[in-house]
Amino acid sequence: MKNLFKLALRGLMRNRRRSMVTLLAIAFGFAAIALFAGYTHNVYDGLGRQSIHGEMLGHLTIYKKGMRTEGKLDPEKYLLTAAEVTEVKTLVQGEAQVSLVAPRLGMSGLASNGRSSTIFIAEGIEPDAVAKIRAGALTEEERDSGMFDNMRMRLDSARPDVVGLSEGLAELLHLKEGDQAQVLVNTLSGQANASDITLGSSFNTGNAGSNDKFAFVSLSLAQSLLDAEGRADRLTVLLDDVEQTEPMREVLLKKLSAAGYEVEIKTWQELSDFYTQVHGMFDMIFGFIFSIVITVVIMSVANSMGMTVVERTREIGTLRAIGLKRSGVIKLFTLESMLLTLIGCVTGLLIALGVRWGINVANISYTPPNSASAVPLLVDMDTGRIIFTFIMMGVVGTLAAYMPARRAAKKDIIDALGHV
Amino acid sequence: MSEATPILKLRNIKRRFMLGETHIDALNSIDLDIHAGEFLAVWGPSGSGKSTLMNIIGLIDSPTAGTVNFDGQDTHALADDALTEFRSQKLGFVFQNFNLVPVLSALENVMLPLQIQGVAEAEASKRAAAALVDVGLERFVNSLPDKLSGGQRQRVAIARALVVNPKLVIADEPTANLDSENSRMVVDLMREMNRARKVTFVFTTHDPRLLDHVDRKILLRDGNIVSDEVMA
Repeated sequence: MKNLFKLALRGLMRNRRRSMVTLLAIAFGFAAIALFAGYTHNVYDGLGRQSIHGEMLGHLTIYKKGMRTEGKLDPEKYLLTAAEVTEVKTLVQGEAQVSLVAPRLGMSGLASNGRSSTIFIAEGIEPDAVAKIRAGALTEEERDSGMFDNMRMRLDSARPDVVGLSEGLAELLHLKEGDQAQVLVNTLSGQANASDITLGSSFNTGNAGSNDKFAFVSLSLAQSLLDAEGRADRLTVLLDDVEQTEPMREVLLKKLSAAGYEVEIKTWQELSDFYTQVHGMFDMIFGFIFSIVITVVIMSVANSMGMTVVERTREIGTLRAIGLKRSGVIKLFTLESMLLTLIGCVTGLLIALGVRWGINVANISYTPPNSASAVPLLVDMDTGRIIFTFIMMGVVGTLAAYMPARRAAKKDIIDALGHV
Repeated sequence: MSEATPILKLRNIKRRFMLGETHIDALNSIDLDIHAGEFLAVWGPSGSGKSTLMNIIGLIDSPTAGTVNFDGQDTHALADDALTEFRSQKLGFVFQNFNLVPVLSALENVMLPLQIQGVAEAEASKRAAAALVDVGLERFVNSLPDKLSGGQRQRVAIARALVVNPKLVIADEPTANLDSENSRMVVDLMREMNRARKVTFVFTTHDPRLLDHVDRKILLRDGNIVSDEVMA
């Protein structure tokens, strides 16, 4: 009923101070949720790009079945052969949404500058693939900020000896760009094998735990050092659209299985423990904040509506006398509460937009835990969670008014009319 | 008094209020017929049972014993929603404290019972505006109640009661909060509406000066009808 709506809206104006306090509690709660959701959205997005492009996990990784378990003890048995690499690569590249298939070969050993040695873990990858995978690592704003210059790792397709070392590793070995060093690894058959390397660039892994031991080398150098000509321990697949990750896994699994390959395909989320852990932690904090805000909204609305019902007892009696049914009284007060909640949410959204703008233009940076470098503090608009919060608050705010509204509807008309 | 079938028949009405261990009998075996078009006053001292009787006539209270038959309907048989709807269509109320919704204008207050009935806004607005003209408040349609005098507020309340074309208007002490001039004006207005629109009015008062205008006056004392006089 339009008039009921009008009555509810004007009812809010009756005790402006109380309505304002309740509205602000809802608005600030909504703004807190929207801002935190926006911040986590930005973090998830950044970590996702960091995992896919920065750590070069790609969107999907194809292993020979068993490589990730038994293969650790017997890698030779579980490496893809040169023929398998070529055939699987051809099959996967046949999918329109696949933009790159890059064979990879991991190794570890000792790196030395002639005076001191340290352990290293390296990833062998084709130099051209590095540029292509790394292309989406940074947003325009991040690139312009200059904070991520140290992520610009390069390999040289013409010179397999050129490697990229993590900043900590280069520092331990006192290496500058162009300096030479030596690496020593075991071949697949267990023989010692060594080679000279040249530092092409150093980079920050973004993780303090790996920033003093990680290296990227050209695939041919890794194959040569491990004596595994043409072989790879996995294929990294880059897609045009991150949203296609899960559907494409199913497509490729079917396709490769039909071609007789026993493979397992992992998504970048499954391979990035850090992303999964951070996502889980932030989701839990979000749930905690959301619960607190919802509790505040319920208490504020219930308290406000309880007082409103007491103050308007005589009006309730009058409306009942002139023909408003009990259900109409419940509708009136729940509608009033719903309006209050929704206006509060809209106000909260406006506050969140203003604060978001302020944060994003303030160029604030911070160093996250376990991170080797500072990152910009940016807040996105997480539309999905904002809509979810809007709906949840609307529902909860309306339900919070139900009990006081029901109490109002049950009032005896005579008692209500005689209320002072 | 008309010999036609009464619109309201009260038979053997008793109303007892419990107060802890004790009780108060507010009405004792009241029999009363009210006919269409009557302008009837119930009067008596405070505590005589006037308001209790009005509440029962207005179907907002139920008797402890006895039957209420309104317009051929035994109201005891009606469930709460049906009774509310019945009240909405057949009755109009004028309260001692006006009981207007303070955040609605005079027009919106008068529209309220129509909109509760489900009448479309345009139609409700038209009828409410006409009702305000009838009570002489056409210049105050957009005024909020707190901008109106006591007499004007009560006239808005009368317009609100009449806008649904009720069979009966109940007015419990409609002049109690008004000065003598406004009291006279309000009673005159109710009388005019009674004559012009043949609307039945029942009101309570303890001001004997207002009884000069009525067709019939019922004196209530200690929950009993002491006299029921039809005026010449």
